[in-house]
Amino acid sequence: MSRTLHFEIFRYNPMDPDSKPHMQTYYLEEKDNMTLFLALNEIRETQDPSLQFDFVCRAAVCGSCAMVINGRPGLACKTKTKDLPDKIVLHPLPVFKLIGDLSVDTGTWFRGVAKKIEAWVHTTKTFDPNALEERMDNDLANEIFELDRCIECGCCIAACGTARMREDFLGAATINKIARFYIDPRDERTDEEYFEVIGTDEGVFGCMGLLGCEDVCPKQIPLQDQLGIMRRKMAIASLGGKVGKLFSVFSKKKK
Amino acid sequence: MSVDTTVESFKGHRLAGWLDWLQMLTGLTLVCFLFAHMLFVGSVLLGAKSFDFVAAFFERTYLAQVGGPILFFLFLLHGFLGARKMPFRTKEQKLIVRHAKMMHHRDTWFWVIQAITGAILLVIASIHMWTVLSDLPITAAKGAHELETGLWLIFYLLLIIVGALHGCIGLYRIGVKWGVVTRAKRTKALKCIYYLIGVYVVVELLNLLRFYFLKV
Amino acid sequence: MQTFYTDMLCIGGGLAGERVAIEAASAGFDCIILSLVPPRRSHSCAAQGGMQAALGNCAMGEGDSPDVHFEDTVKGSDWGCDQEVARLFVDTAPIVMRELAFWGVPWNRVVPGPAVYFKGGQKFEVYEKEEKAGLITARAFGGTAKWRTCYTSDGTGHSVLYTMDCKALEVGVEVHDRVEALSLIHDGENCLGVVARCLRTGELRVYFAKTVLIATGGYGRIYKHTTNAVINQGTGLILALDTGIVPLGNMEAVQFHPTGIVPTDILVTEGCRGDGGTLLDKNEYRFMPDYEPEKAELASRDVVSRRMTEHIRKGFGVKSPYGEHLWLDIRHLGEKHITTKLREVYDICMNFLGINPIHELIPVRPTQHYSMGGVRTNKDGAAYGLKGLFAAGEAACWDLHGFNRLGGNSLAETVVAGKIVGEKIVEFLKGYEVNIKTSYATAEVKKQKERIEKLKNSSGGENVYKLRNEMQEIMMEKVGIFRNEKDLQEAVDSLRTLLDRSKKLSLASNGIGANPELAEALRLPGMIKVALCIAYGALQRKESRGAHYREDYPYRNDKEWLKRTLATWKQGDDLPTLEYEPASKVFHLPPGDRGYGEGKVIPSDEDEKSGDNK
Ligand SMILES: Cc1cc2nc3c(=O)[nH]c(=O)nc-3n(C[C@H](O)[C@H](O)[C@H](O)COP(=O)(O)OP(=O)(O)OC[C@H]3O[C@@H](n4cnc5c(N)ncnc54)[C@H](O)[C@@H]3O)c2cc1C
Ligand code: HEM
Ligand code: HEM
Ligand code: SF4
Ligand code: F3S
Ligand code: FES
Repeated sequence: MSRTLHFEIFRYNPMDPDSKPHMQTYYLEEKDNMTLFLALNEIRETQDPSLQFDFVCRAAVCGSCAMVINGRPGLACKTKTKDLPDKIVLHPLPVFKLIGDLSVDTGTWFRGVAKKIEAWVHTTKTFDPNALEERMDNDLANEIFELDRCIECGCCIAACGTARMREDFLGAATINKIARFYIDPRDERTDEEYFEVIGTDEGVFGCMGLLGCEDVCPKQIPLQDQLGIMRRKMAIASLGGKVGKLFSVFSKKKK
Repeated sequence: MSVDTTVESFKGHRLAGWLDWLQMLTGLTLVCFLFAHMLFVGSVLLGAKSFDFVAAFFERTYLAQVGGPILFFLFLLHGFLGARKMPFRTKEQKLIVRHAKMMHHRDTWFWVIQAITGAILLVIASIHMWTVLSDLPITAAKGAHELETGLWLIFYLLLIIVGALHGCIGLYRIGVKWGVVTRAKRTKALKCIYYLIGVYVVVELLNLLRFYFLKV
Repeated sequence: MQTFYTDMLCIGGGLAGERVAIEAASAGFDCIILSLVPPRRSHSCAAQGGMQAALGNCAMGEGDSPDVHFEDTVKGSDWGCDQEVARLFVDTAPIVMRELAFWGVPWNRVVPGPAVYFKGGQKFEVYEKEEKAGLITARAFGGTAKWRTCYTSDGTGHSVLYTMDCKALEVGVEVHDRVEALSLIHDGENCLGVVARCLRTGELRVYFAKTVLIATGGYGRIYKHTTNAVINQGTGLILALDTGIVPLGNMEAVQFHPTGIVPTDILVTEGCRGDGGTLLDKNEYRFMPDYEPEKAELASRDVVSRRMTEHIRKGFGVKSPYGEHLWLDIRHLGEKHITTKLREVYDICMNFLGINPIHELIPVRPTQHYSMGGVRTNKDGAAYGLKGLFAAGEAACWDLHGFNRLGGNSLAETVVAGKIVGEKIVEFLKGYEVNIKTSYATAEVKKQKERIEKLKNSSGGENVYKLRNEMQEIMMEKVGIFRNEKDLQEAVDSLRTLLDRSKKLSLASNGIGANPELAEALRLPGMIKVALCIAYGALQRKESRGAHYREDYPYRNDKEWLKRTLATWKQGDDLPTLEYEPASKVFHLPPGDRGYGEGKVIPSDEDEKSGDNK
């Protein structure tokens, strides 16, 4: 089967005054079961030791290695070369700050939005080390976990036209994160409080339903559904007062 | 996105929510109108008489005189609301097109189509409504007469296509945005929308041809 | 140069580091976390299985208690652990599990009524009690008497780490990610801070801190094949080693897992074999029953790993461009079982190998998995040798695991130790002042600057990736699963040569900015030192205990070796200095038979006298 793979890789080192953004070509013999993780490391070790990219877990669980692979954001560690054509074009994720070559700063971005939406359980209770844990229905636990699975790889942000046009858009992953706390009975925030955080044009109402997020998410987080649900809930919250109450029949919160 | 923005800056008003409702509802109304309009104009298929009858009915009940301007207002309101989401700066426009190209992604292209068709509609649907509403009563004869100029034929052809795309894609996108079209229902919804576009275009084309060949 | 001041500096943003930071920040102290990557990307997120705590909620966990957990842990450690620490651990584990639930971890819960589980491909039924409904449930793990591993589906590490990071955000822990600690600043008595390098820009920074915590995780990448993340290079241990004062404990204790997939070495769970999967060789022959007639594939991790290696050495391995391997066969379990009960295995095979395990064989080989050794601390988490220096998590040798850690105990350790060590640090910080002696920092910075300049300008000709690969190969071949005098001696000799050659490293690229080659070159000499601590410690330890298996000394020798190795690195030496201390101050559970594995025991003198060994 042995093919020679033709890589076109975006190169730019912002710390080097002599460096200009450009595409660089590499050739590599394909091997059995090769992934982009193995391929890129081989290029770095044998051809170009200055090549920057990020891998941590190389098992699609840490979210470090997202990049634009032949036009689509995806996890490089999970991409097998045998699923790609001979020519492989790699770009860093857009939207995020470029660190160098294929490496971008998703960490700072995600920490920033987590701070904005106060992504933690808000409670007035204090922990009692001598008490039993509060009970929870296993189905609900699974439901929370389903939304909690996001690995903050940034693919959904990079794939979102809205996020590319509007710097302040919170993005699908963030709205999904809010949804995670929203269904969690341990978080005591009210609809109104959630509304203040994401009931804006930077939040749920900014989403234009482009579904790039949904179609690239490597963890198949139900982004499309969650964006819809949160938009509905927040839209109803925006009505406020009597009208909102009337509608709230349709948006029961599990609490 | 700056990191140290405090929560304070987020303390919002409910405006964003209201505007989103309005955009959806105006869009929905316009689509409903469009299909109603398709049927109304479709009465010409049964002959000039029946068309004139329906038109006269609308005028007798003042639906045309009052409803027309209201619809025109809704149309402008909807256009204004839609415009809030449209890229105005060339940089943004280029960016979104480049993005859609990079992604090879259907739903992203849908939105680009939505924005472009919206912009076109603003111009041509305004002209259309103006010509029709400023020269009441509506009769089949006028329509037929108008079409004798080839330019109007092209104009209407454009209006059909652009309206079909904008309306039907808009419908699908409302479904997606408001969580009616869920992940599980997406493929099916898309199929429905394609059919809808087809039906609309075919019926409207027939209407147009009927007018074109109408002898009064 | 950027300089930062803080009460507490946490090197490492994995579970251990974050838990400690939360404790300190909640008590009102300034706290900064340094991490190579955003904290949520730390390797803790990769743990799928779960964490142990004796809650005893589920049917198969009934009757569980910290005492049973204690016994399992000590036996698992092959009596190498510190029993005071083990006690502390088992008593605290249930509390932290509940605390995590309180903070938001979506633990799986008890569902009352009948439930089925699989073992050896067979189906069993149990009844979950109504009164336990909704409490935290548990699953089975190797080496435990009861089901006590709490979990969230297949993403325990992920869920717990994300919740932890949320909590850290809430209590105001500051995070400096993409920053690598290069060396400790100390005056020979007190730890004063660290010199670090920014991995975004390549610039050096100084952090002054009243207390420093090393929570840098494992060092798997010293081996060629490891289930660890690529950032697990043991850089935290280098910090301690380079002081010349702070010892590393039991570095020769390295755990291997039988089933890492080839080529990427991703772990596939023990559940495959538990549910009836078999191991095949190049002739697709099932060989395990020949070696272990009774337990076959279900013998303990270390035993299976050893047998697999033995079989490959006999020439029955399957050749591949990535080295030799064996096959794991789960085809006979059937599509339904594989896509439900073993879904995560199915996904890994499909995603990373393009292999469908329902119809195809899975290439596997024994793979380095966990490091029991680390920065030696007392039961408060305080490192030996320097005041104000602490360690926790996999990077530490708190010594809960001795010579073999139990599955599910390490994740639990990170959080339990995090809580306990965090409290001790808070105690330490109250009323503690140090004079910041900038001269020590200046000297340290100068040293690091010189290293960097030297690398950039050197024409020594040694290539960093080549040397690193050689080191990894030596460790895998000679300091792996089977160990013997000859191999270990060769390993020590070759590693010493490598250490020498590493002085002649030179860069092939320009080294500007966040250059990955420079970062690797800065780490490599330290990594070789860590490797030497393992190899040399293993050479000296003339017995077999837990994961440390000497072909030439197959018995556990409690008479001479019921003790912990302490390795320090004196400046200028090319070998570590080894010292020993008793494995445990107290023996609540006297040394005895583990009840599994093939081990024979040479009892210690006291045991002989009291005659209570079997
Ligand atoms: C595949 C796999 C599966 C596992 N499954 C389980 C399981 O099911 N149950 C279980 O109990 N255990 C499991 N373990 C073990 C367990 O995951 C680890 O022992 C544990 O997560 C270690 O946590 P930690 O906080 O000590 O270190 P880590 O989570 O590894 O964190 C280390 C941190 O240190 C930082 N760091 C390192 N060096 C430096 C430096 N020089 N400067 C600055 N920062 C630095 C890193 O950036 C990182 O933030 C598994 C391990 C592996 C490899
Ligand atoms: C108050 C609003 C409107 C009125 C009263 C109205 C009325 C009419 C009438 C009478 C015709 C027949 C041809 C003619 O007389 O010229 C027509 C055709 C048409 N209209 Fe409208 N219209 C309205 C709004 C719109 C809008 C908003 C659209 C577009 C989106 C639209 C799209 C069309 C098209 C495509 C045709 C030509 C196809 C056909 O003949 O069926 N109209 N309209
Ligand atoms: C003035 C001319 C018009 C302009 C500029 C315009 C513009 C837009 C834009 C930009 C959107 C996308 C907004 C978003 O997705 O966030 C949109 C949505 C929509 N438009 Fe229009 N439009 C116009 C006329 C019409 C007409 C005549 C119809 C009726 C057929 C229509 C139906 C819709 C529908 C159904 C939607 C979806 C609503 C939503 O997304 O909430 N539009 N429009
Ligand atoms: S939602 Fe999906 S694509 Fe987005 S960050 Fe999370 S895992 Fe990545
Ligand atoms: S791509 Fe963007 S616009 Fe909404 S549906 Fe996804 S966030
Ligand atoms: S390296 Fe962790 S997701 Fe790819």
